[in-house]
Amino acid sequence: MPNVLVVGGGITGVAVAYDLALRGARVTLVERGSLGAGTSGRTHGLLHSGCRYIADVEVARECYTENVILRRIAPFLFEKNGGLFVAISDDDLGYRDFFLKQCDKAGIPVQELSREEALRLEPNLNPGLKAVIRVPDGTFDPLKVILSFAASAKLHSAVIKPFNEVTGFKVEGGRVVSVRILDKTVPREYEVKPDFVVNATGAWADKVARLAGLRVPVKPSPGVMVALDGRIGNMVFNRLNKPGDGDIIVHHRGTSVVGTTSWVVEDPDKVAPPREHIELMIRRGSELAPVVSRLRVKAVYVSSRPLVGEGAASSGREVSRSFAVIDHSREGVENFVSIIGGKFTTARLMAEKLGDFVSERLGIARESSTASTPLAPYWLFFEG
Amino acid sequence: MKYRLVVRRVKATGGRRFDVFEVEAEPDESVLDVVERVSLQGDRTLTFEHACHHGVCGACGMVINGVERLACITRIGEVARGGVVVVEPLRGFRVVSDLAVDKSRMFGKYRLVTPTTLEKLDSRLDRVEFEKLYDCTECGICYSACPIANTFKDYLGPSLLAIVSRSAEGRVPAVIDSRAGVWACHAAFECSVRCPVDFKPGESIMRLRRRLLKGEVEVEG
Repeated sequence: MPNVLVVGGGITGVAVAYDLALRGARVTLVERGSLGAGTSGRTHGLLHSGCRYIADVEVARECYTENVILRRIAPFLFEKNGGLFVAISDDDLGYRDFFLKQCDKAGIPVQELSREEALRLEPNLNPGLKAVIRVPDGTFDPLKVILSFAASAKLHSAVIKPFNEVTGFKVEGGRVVSVRILDKTVPREYEVKPDFVVNATGAWADKVARLAGLRVPVKPSPGVMVALDGRIGNMVFNRLNKPGDGDIIVHHRGTSVVGTTSWVVEDPDKVAPPREHIELMIRRGSELAPVVSRLRVKAVYVSSRPLVGEGAASSGREVSRSFAVIDHSREGVENFVSIIGGKFTTARLMAEKLGDFVSERLGIARESSTASTPLAPYWLFFEG
Repeated sequence: MKYRLVVRRVKATGGRRFDVFEVEAEPDESVLDVVERVSLQGDRTLTFEHACHHGVCGACGMVINGVERLACITRIGEVARGGVVVVEPLRGFRVVSDLAVDKSRMFGKYRLVTPTTLEKLDSRLDRVEFEKLYDCTECGICYSACPIANTFKDYLGPSLLAIVSRSAEGRVPAVIDSRAGVWACHAAFECSVRCPVDFKPGESIMRLRRRLLKGEVEVEG
């Protein structure tokens, strides 16, 4: 069986490693930090129902389908609390009919609640709300989902190596013939000779591809999130409108996270949360739930989305939320592929599509079975 | 403001040392953000675990100026002493590298008890069922702080016993009612004192003991 090197230990990387390991490939995954240390670990933890991107029916349908699959293959990882889309202003109310029509088109089961019912369910919502729609959102602890995929990959003989950073590729005759890696635990550099390389480093995909003389059209798009010291609701609170700054509050475990902003940077390693973004999150979050302004801020953090960028998009909201597989054979390197875009919720699907691509190249006949195979518990990652 | 970050370094090649990094940081920045900046701009071989950056995943537990904390929700200005912050790996675990530890000493025990991770919540409307993840972030801080977990390798440990205690519906595996289970606890309550999410493992263990003594919990096997 061929050797595949997966670079990147976020949700996409571990899902790719799992998909290919299940098909029988010999997979090694390397990650420069700990698993989930990049973007994936720093999501707000929302299992999308698809409703947030309902303007694009295909992306929404994709999210909802994956939402259902993930709950089926790993019910122990997700809070089954649902979400609410809440109209606060007249502008929000004007979005309601479009929202319901699009949900219907995408096949996402939603239900309109009365103001009283919504406030009985979630007393911290703004009492002045004008309309509420219940949707099948969920929440999760990102690290535990990543570890479950990694554990599942390990059970199928994948080798997972955190703290191993790719420092260079040797390209000869249109192929990557070896990859140089720094093992930070020793520390020492070593070389591996994979048959195929998958670049699943998300917002860092271009930085990694450049090491092989290649380019990836990724737009690192950071977003600021503010974690509050206390859980103010059970269901996810969304603003009933097109996506904007500070329009979502995600509750998981004992905390609530207000998110998010969006802008575009060149280097995802050089991002700090602008102070005005924090104030904006508190102000906008308070419109959804007035209690937000009275809670202590526990943490402020930034996560850089790996959006697919083409043309001159300058705000992260203008670029696609779907994903792209970049076949570098077009640039003259036949055994190197990058994957960017997507969402945490759609990572399994991304891995399946990438797995199809790699399998075709390597002559692996087995089809993806990740949609129907139960995930291993995350704690098995630490065994063996 | 200038801080002096002192990091205990351990590598697989052996040897231990403390490295000092002079860093510029705002007092309300987290210790984790500062450690990450050092790893990106100062020493790329500095290893540590981190993921959520807001106190729910439990990855970034470390000993900060002698006290176990989650680095992501610890503001550097609140813990620095004379501008100095010393960071070390959690105690009671094998060190993988620098601040990263191998948590198999904790998670490896899960197969003995297969705990549920979801907590059922009372709903406000009869027809709505809620489930949430337990607040325990499985960070390992309670193991690091516990005098028994540090000295008795078979001990199941504070967080695992607490999760089982809260999720057990009248039945527990025999290992819970054994020397490695609730009876190993010496009631030091360091686990509860250090727990970053107030999960109170010590109190949960004591409650489970009382229920076992009263015969309110059936022991399987």
